[in-house]
Amino acid sequence: MKVALFITCVNDGLFPNTPRAVVEVLERLGHQVVFPTQQTCCGQMHLNAGYRQEGLHLAQRFREIFNDYDVIVSPSASCVGTVRDLYATSARSIGEDSLADDLDAVGHRTYEFSEFLTDVLKVTDVGASFHHTVAYHPTCHSLRVLGLDDSPKTLLRHVEGLRLVDVDHENECCGFGGMFSIKNAETSVAMGRDKLAHVRATRAEVLCALDNSCLTHIGGLASRAKSGIKLMHLAEILASSREYS
Amino acid sequence: MTRIFDTELPFPTLAHQALGDAQLRANLAHATTTIRDKRLRVVGELDDWERLRDAGAAIKDYSLDHLDELCVELEKNVVAHGGVVHWARDAAEANHIVVELVQSLGVDSVVKVKSMATAEIELNVALERHGITAYETDLAELIVQLGDDLPSHILVPAIHKNRSQIRQIFLDEMGKSGMPAPDDLTNDPAALAAAARAHLRQRFLSAKVAISGANFVIADTGALVVVESEGNGRMCLTLPETLISVVGIEKVLPNWQSLEVFMQLLPRSSTGERMNPYTSIFTGATPGNGPSNFHLVLIDNGRSSALAEVDGRDVLRCIRCSACLNVCPVYERTGGHSYGNPYPGPIGAVLVPQLRRGQRTPLEDSLPYASSLCGACYEACPVKIDIPKILVRLRSEIVDEKRRSKPHDPELVTMRILEKGFSSARLFQRVVALGGLIGRLPLRTLRFLPPPLNRWSASRDAPLPPTTSFRSWFADTHRDDNLTTATPSTSNDPLVHRHDAVHDATPGHVGIDLAGREGVLSSIATALGNPRRHSSLPAQRDYTVHGSLDASTRRALLKDRLVDYRTNVVECDDAALSATINALLVAHGSSSVATPADIPAAWLDSVQAQVHRDDPVLTVRDLDGIDSSLTGCAVAIAQTGTIILDSGVLQGRRALSLVPDHLIMVIRDEQIVEVVPEGVARLAPDSPQTWISGPSATSDIELERIEGVHGPRTLDVVLVTARHNL
Repeated sequence: MKVALFITCVNDGLFPNTPRAVVEVLERLGHQVVFPTQQTCCGQMHLNAGYRQEGLHLAQRFREIFNDYDVIVSPSASCVGTVRDLYATSARSIGEDSLADDLDAVGHRTYEFSEFLTDVLKVTDVGASFHHTVAYHPTCHSLRVLGLDDSPKTLLRHVEGLRLVDVDHENECCGFGGMFSIKNAETSVAMGRDKLAHVRATRAEVLCALDNSCLTHIGGLASRAKSGIKLMHLAEILASSREYS
Repeated sequence: MTRIFDTELPFPTLAHQALGDAQLRANLAHATTTIRDKRLRVVGELDDWERLRDAGAAIKDYSLDHLDELCVELEKNVVAHGGVVHWARDAAEANHIVVELVQSLGVDSVVKVKSMATAEIELNVALERHGITAYETDLAELIVQLGDDLPSHILVPAIHKNRSQIRQIFLDEMGKSGMPAPDDLTNDPAALAAAARAHLRQRFLSAKVAISGANFVIADTGALVVVESEGNGRMCLTLPETLISVVGIEKVLPNWQSLEVFMQLLPRSSTGERMNPYTSIFTGATPGNGPSNFHLVLIDNGRSSALAEVDGRDVLRCIRCSACLNVCPVYERTGGHSYGNPYPGPIGAVLVPQLRRGQRTPLEDSLPYASSLCGACYEACPVKIDIPKILVRLRSEIVDEKRRSKPHDPELVTMRILEKGFSSARLFQRVVALGGLIGRLPLRTLRFLPPPLNRWSASRDAPLPPTTSFRSWFADTHRDDNLTTATPSTSNDPLVHRHDAVHDATPGHVGIDLAGREGVLSSIATALGNPRRHSSLPAQRDYTVHGSLDASTRRALLKDRLVDYRTNVVECDDAALSATINALLVAHGSSSVATPADIPAAWLDSVQAQVHRDDPVLTVRDLDGIDSSLTGCAVAIAQTGTIILDSGVLQGRRALSLVPDHLIMVIRDEQIVEVVPEGVARLAPDSPQTWISGPSATSDIELERIEGVHGPRTLDVVLVTARHNL
């Protein structure tokens, strides 16, 4: 299958290993990955912060770049949630119904990476090997916008050597929330510290999720607290194989 | 002086104070965790929960789309039953109406049932200004009032206080305004509830005027529905001569049958109970069986302007259950006071800016941002209000406002620059490359960032950008045909010119310039627009409307549910009924029992206690001196353990089952139904009703259910069945 990769601006700027892992897993499974180089940001931050106009410009830009592809895959639940849900909602809120329909059309072809594996490719074992104790944090957009409940964990359970541990109150938000982390920094940090405490209580070596943005927030607190826990996107764990782990 | 909220401080400033209060955070975490678990348990018991949510949302949508017609129908039915209907466009008018009514009755104090509407209009302050003391009677409101505090939760305004703090408030303050708390008061919730009972008892028995809100008002019967736990509501709604109910226009439901949905959604979402202990339902004035004078004050106060917004209409579906507060991670950490008004939490963050549309205070502008948009509120909402979506739209309005002000807000300028950066892959790549240079610094993480990102780095490290980008790796390892470089055409942008038009059309305030009734009705009509949104009530009730259990299983379920809420249940046949009643009276140590006038002599043959038939009518003081009361019932709902009196045969007046501290209720097999819709169908819609689920109880102390406040503290139920079924 030919897959267009949307890596997201956060990964473009800060976490190149995540999209690289996506490419490796998909190619290992025999799929062709193409990378439209004009891509930048989906506009999530603008749309969520109330900058509808700017966000919808970026939405249109996204559509023009990805419109020719049948399948678009991205390693970020919140960006996929934006493309699939927020684009059309935002367009409709200003009466741009036909734009909303166009954006919906591309949104329906855009998949979060783990969702693409389990729901489209119907794969649960990607041949990964990772000998560590791992905690999984279901990010809000993966859970409540995309409805990805158990499938990411199923992927993790099939990784050789991986021990998956449960986190208390796992469905609770980590407190990142995009601009919320700046505008309401103190509340955001209070939420994040509680999340980190629940994660640390599991004694997991690695915390993984489907959104690097949330992991940056939790990881920033972990690093400041010198907690030693490693933050990894789920794709990076799935890319780990005997050859290079 | 009653304290009121200050709207000049924004959410982050208020939250800062709350976040520093370790005791407050511990209290909130404990209470919200308790209620979340309870809610999940009782919601999980219903396999038609999602269908009930859909029905609730659809009925509310219909009501809001026909709000003016339904308000007029409601008015007609209330007036037909001897009530008086007043209309208030705003808080000042509503307060004026209530103050004048109270003054005309010549009293200087009133008893109050907890009501969000009266908190919203700051009625207590208005009454106080005219020398009228309003005594709050809900346990949590009493705690707030005695402690000279502000409410912090819709359901449990004193949720921020724990049991030992409550004990201290009772010891310090109760004596100043009535019966003091006993010196040996402990922090046992039951003891605290008992202190509240004693403190308010005489006030209830002597009050002339009560003020309440309502959870629902039913257009086609004129009925008011007040849902509560402790019995303070029943006291206020039943004993005083005059009742004034202040109700937001959005509380209207179209018809009696709607209650079968909302009486399932509300208690399970709110207190996490299958059914709340008490619900009172009555229409208009009910002389002899409740207040002789009834005034309904319908308030607009921003609702019609919220109605003009499609999202605003969604917000008006709210039934004030507070499920969204209880699941909100922001609320859990910041508490209710951070929201700066009586409606806190996610619903407050969308409701308050809608109700105060057009006002721009620092608080209102900060509320839509007081959320991480995690979506837990939407998931819990019984009427499916998509709160995150509405928050985002309210943020857009604030930003649109910023676009109009000069000089431009720094955030707006920054966001526009970012958009430009993201609109050009080349520009974006330059920034990424610059990041790569920072990445070469001999650091492991970034500890200091420039403003405004210093608000991030104050407590959080930031990752060092990578030295090699994904793009260069991909280009090195892939053939050219994997790289597609099509450039988007941004020149032909349909949004560019349309946006200004959108701004001009951004709806603002819906003007109200007529008086009273006509003012409210015309505002609603204007808000609903022309042509109106077409909506109709759901044609089918696709939730469970009929039970499937046989009679004995149904009886067993009822028994189980009654016992679960601390009701003592005994079973007997007709022949043993009188002896059974006597045994219950003896066990309770009762020497007197009140009964409706029409109780058959056969029920009382074996009763040794002195029997007081309600004929001639027993006074409240008489009832207060009687140990027990005995009634039949109209119907009993097995699934929720609810027994309903509708003032029919063998049921007596409402006060009868309220004032004595011990209640015996007799239920016959044929009166038991399985599910709520079957119960609602059997009731006389416009005759005064009391729904009873267990002894009086409260969840106001740390959200744990404790039996025994103002209503009967002991409830005995006799299930009468044919001998062969025993």
